[in-house]
Amino acid sequence: MMSLTKTHKSLRYLGLGLLALLILGPFILGFWTSLMPTADIAKGILISSHLSLANYVDAVQQTAILRYLVNSLVISTLTMLAQVLFCSLGAYTFVFLKFKGRDFLFYVILATMMLPFEAEVIPNFATVRFLNLLNHYAVMVIPFLTSAFGIFMLRQAFRQIPGELKEAADIEGLNHWQFYWRVALPYARISIFTLAAYSFLESWNQYLWPMLTTFSDKFRPVQDGLRQLQSQETFNNWGMIQASAVIVVIPTLLVLFVGQHYFKNGLNEGATK
Amino acid sequence: MEAGHSVPKSQPTVKSFAKTAAKGFNVHVNDKYYAAAFLGPSLLILGVFVFYPMVRTLYLSLFLTNNVGRPTVFVGLKNYVSLLTSAAYRASLTATGFYVVGVVVLTLALGILLAQATVQKLAGIQWFRTIFSATMGVSVSVAAIFWLFIFSPSVGLLDQIAAFFHLPVINWLTDPGWAMVAIIVSTVWMNLGFTFLILFGALQMVPPTLYEAADIEGASKRYQFWHVTLPMISPTLFFTATVTLIGAFKSFGLIDLMTAGGPNNATNLMVYQVYKDAFLTGNYGMASAESIILALVIALFTLLQFKFLEKRVTY
Amino acid sequence: MRRIRNWERWGLAGLCLIIVAAIGLGWATHQRATTAQANTRTKVVFWHEMTGPAQQELLTLVKNFNHSQTKYEVVPEFEGNYNEAVQKIIDTHGTDASPAVFQSMDISTSQLHHTGYTTPVQKFIDEDHYPVQKIASGARAFYANKGVQLSMPFNTSQPVLYYNATLLKKYGITPPPVNPSYQDITRVATQLMTRSHKKVQGITVEIYGWLFEQFLANSGESLANREDGHAGTPTAVNFTGPAAVQTMQWIQTNLKRGSFVNYGAGANAVNNETASFLSGRLGMFLQSSATIGQLTKGNPDKLGITYYPHPDGQKANGVAIGGASLWISNDKTTHVQRGAWDFIKYLLTAKNQAAWQVATGYLALNKDSQKEPELQALYQKLPATKVPGEQLRAATPNNTNSGIFLQGLIQARILTQTAMEQIYQGSDPQKALATAQKSMNSYISNNNRSNGYS
Repeated sequence: MMSLTKTHKSLRYLGLGLLALLILGPFILGFWTSLMPTADIAKGILISSHLSLANYVDAVQQTAILRYLVNSLVISTLTMLAQVLFCSLGAYTFVFLKFKGRDFLFYVILATMMLPFEAEVIPNFATVRFLNLLNHYAVMVIPFLTSAFGIFMLRQAFRQIPGELKEAADIEGLNHWQFYWRVALPYARISIFTLAAYSFLESWNQYLWPMLTTFSDKFRPVQDGLRQLQSQETFNNWGMIQASAVIVVIPTLLVLFVGQHYFKNGLNEGATK
Repeated sequence: MEAGHSVPKSQPTVKSFAKTAAKGFNVHVNDKYYAAAFLGPSLLILGVFVFYPMVRTLYLSLFLTNNVGRPTVFVGLKNYVSLLTSAAYRASLTATGFYVVGVVVLTLALGILLAQATVQKLAGIQWFRTIFSATMGVSVSVAAIFWLFIFSPSVGLLDQIAAFFHLPVINWLTDPGWAMVAIIVSTVWMNLGFTFLILFGALQMVPPTLYEAADIEGASKRYQFWHVTLPMISPTLFFTATVTLIGAFKSFGLIDLMTAGGPNNATNLMVYQVYKDAFLTGNYGMASAESIILALVIALFTLLQFKFLEKRVTY
Repeated sequence: MRRIRNWERWGLAGLCLIIVAAIGLGWATHQRATTAQANTRTKVVFWHEMTGPAQQELLTLVKNFNHSQTKYEVVPEFEGNYNEAVQKIIDTHGTDASPAVFQSMDISTSQLHHTGYTTPVQKFIDEDHYPVQKIASGARAFYANKGVQLSMPFNTSQPVLYYNATLLKKYGITPPPVNPSYQDITRVATQLMTRSHKKVQGITVEIYGWLFEQFLANSGESLANREDGHAGTPTAVNFTGPAAVQTMQWIQTNLKRGSFVNYGAGANAVNNETASFLSGRLGMFLQSSATIGQLTKGNPDKLGITYYPHPDGQKANGVAIGGASLWISNDKTTHVQRGAWDFIKYLLTAKNQAAWQVATGYLALNKDSQKEPELQALYQKLPATKVPGEQLRAATPNNTNSGIFLQGLIQARILTQTAMEQIYQGSDPQKALATAQKSMNSYISNNNRSNGYS
């Protein structure tokens, strides 16, 4: 690579820069307009000298944007914890327990991965309505307490645990709870982290289901909160809407940047396995 | 990365053999109770929220439902017949197909481009990697709002640029053809971060010796890309393609926020059609039939993915 | 695989903590601001679909109501657009999530009545001997069935035509007459286009089923059979009558000429046409009188308003009212229902109705409102704002201009909007409307069958 000439090198940077602009463009524009007065945006001015944080103050004071964030945080955290617990327990069953019909059950669970939730919203709505869960955190957590994908992924991870470990544990007289907690979970921690990150993001990005089942700002998560803001602004208050979008995107961006290695490693593991 | 096949579970040492044999019965006798405790919650949830609803949807799809959503008149397959003979529904299927293909092709092509651009060794390349993965942190409604502004008439960026260069102004979201382009572009942008990360990881795992060998043989860069890089990352590429494809079939949020299925139903994708029939007009029977068709399509592609993964795991 | 470094782990944990703390703090202050008076009052959940200035005014009225008494606390919740709300109301009935009092649009009346999920407000009118004759009779009749008041009319509007009077004057164009025909509109739109050298667009007709219905009403053509449902449950619709086809042809021809412009459908279309009108790039548009509030606030140009246009060579039949009414759910306790009724009464006082019209452009329904100084001042300042009320009074009510009693009108709107889209893009009007009509008729026959009406 030392043979690269200077012009060659700057050409490469130019190319990379253009690609970066393509990716960052919408962010930059969103951020920039969030600092501009809506009146200027409406006039079609894109370069304004009246930059301020007024839109952010408006968003925080006039809308429930922070409440939406809290709701999403609660829902996603609960979903994440539950999925890690139930998926790992389920996966453990398929690796370390022996009972009749185990393989059949595994294929049954595998089969659920083929059934898209989007195609089942009608009966699911009826179910949560019957359980009187509508318009509550529970309605956005309970159907997602476990996932076939998570069980499948952790099963793969648990299968890497050397047989000797289990034998040794048996000799020591550890029961399954103890083995699960002290050996299996720590051993598969990378996969557990990946599942945690995946389930958190999945829950954070839920859009259709919360839209159908929440009816007040008290429980509405952030995706549908933004929809709410967008649909009740008849006056095209672009500045405030962009500010709200920026408020929503900043936490996930920060977490992503700091936690990059987790994601990269975990994702690649999942993808190539 | 390990090859994926399982480590043989019991390779008992001589010492432990006697012990397990003695305890053998004991070790697994309680397993079914453990299994009930460990697997029970998952089975219950999957049963109630995944299996039962599929059966119920199938059942509902054979009925007409009244104005409070109860199935009242059995019509057999009539809902399916009227769907498949309706030009509007066929248009929705076509639109979905067009959208899915557009999203998958563009996402993969751009994903490879970005990944290729960042495997080279250059000072500060780490920054570009971070930037290219940024859209992974963008949720659907944020993406929709950012792009809605870019595409919005008169105040949006694209129309401003067009006006500046005296180009004809494009009605991005009110012209059926352009609206489809607009939602494809937005979706691809949103997908890129994830796709980039995975493809980048795959590219890094191509052994450098392969390129060195190709260099010695005097193969051009283009030749290397088609005959070394692509074959080496093809498993990952296939995985990414199916994930993107299934995701695209399920698209809803962007459509809802940006076009609401319009203009002229040009972006009325399958899930949006289900939503409209079930939750706007209360036509549950029809919406159930549409759900079943959607489920069949997605199941088909998931099955393909499984088949493929199975192959991967065994070689 | 690279091991995760220690500092990264701490960094991530620390960052999460900071974000949680920041959000928590923000939320705590937000909460304090909103629940200043958490107490033992009975909560009355109120679902509405008002946006923009109308929402602000409605929230003010709610706040004032909550201050005016100590028994109830009305909790307002915005539930999206009219179309979304109807099914939400039906789907949540009987659960803790359902509202005690809700706003639902004009065309959902028949459907909501048939669900049996509501308590007719007539019950409370009788109990209280409420002077219901003070409320505009045309609006009341729209939401009554066989002499029983099902719901209380609240936000009532008229579709009208807006024009930018300042802009017309600038280009020396004679404004359209107060009761314009299609020809009058074509003239003004064409003049705007040519005299401004295409800088100003003539007119836009939003792709909106409501506007389509009003074109039919104003030409005296029924949309559904059995007298638009006034004489029994309709079994078929008529989207392909001469007036419907002629109107669509009129719009299509002018779109091709460039004097009309298409802004699309939905909230985005309304936002964009309003923004263009206010910035002087659009000369005229058809919309609900409820937009007046937005169009007068901070608009330096003079606003002109006329009646809804009618076909050439015939007299205007008059348009139906638009808007929505307030319903009381029957799945709540009598105490809560009583609270809901008290709230409805409060919204309909002469003073509040006057304030409502001034802020929004919806017509004040209480007859005494006309005497309120606030409304008098508005008429004085902007005489054009009298036009919607005059249009309402000018029409003689008949079966084609008093609303359509058909279940599944949301479906009809979806279908007519699709037809309008196609026509605007250049499809043959007759054909596009026929397709929509066919789909709607099959919907109606299914619906009638599943509900046992046929």
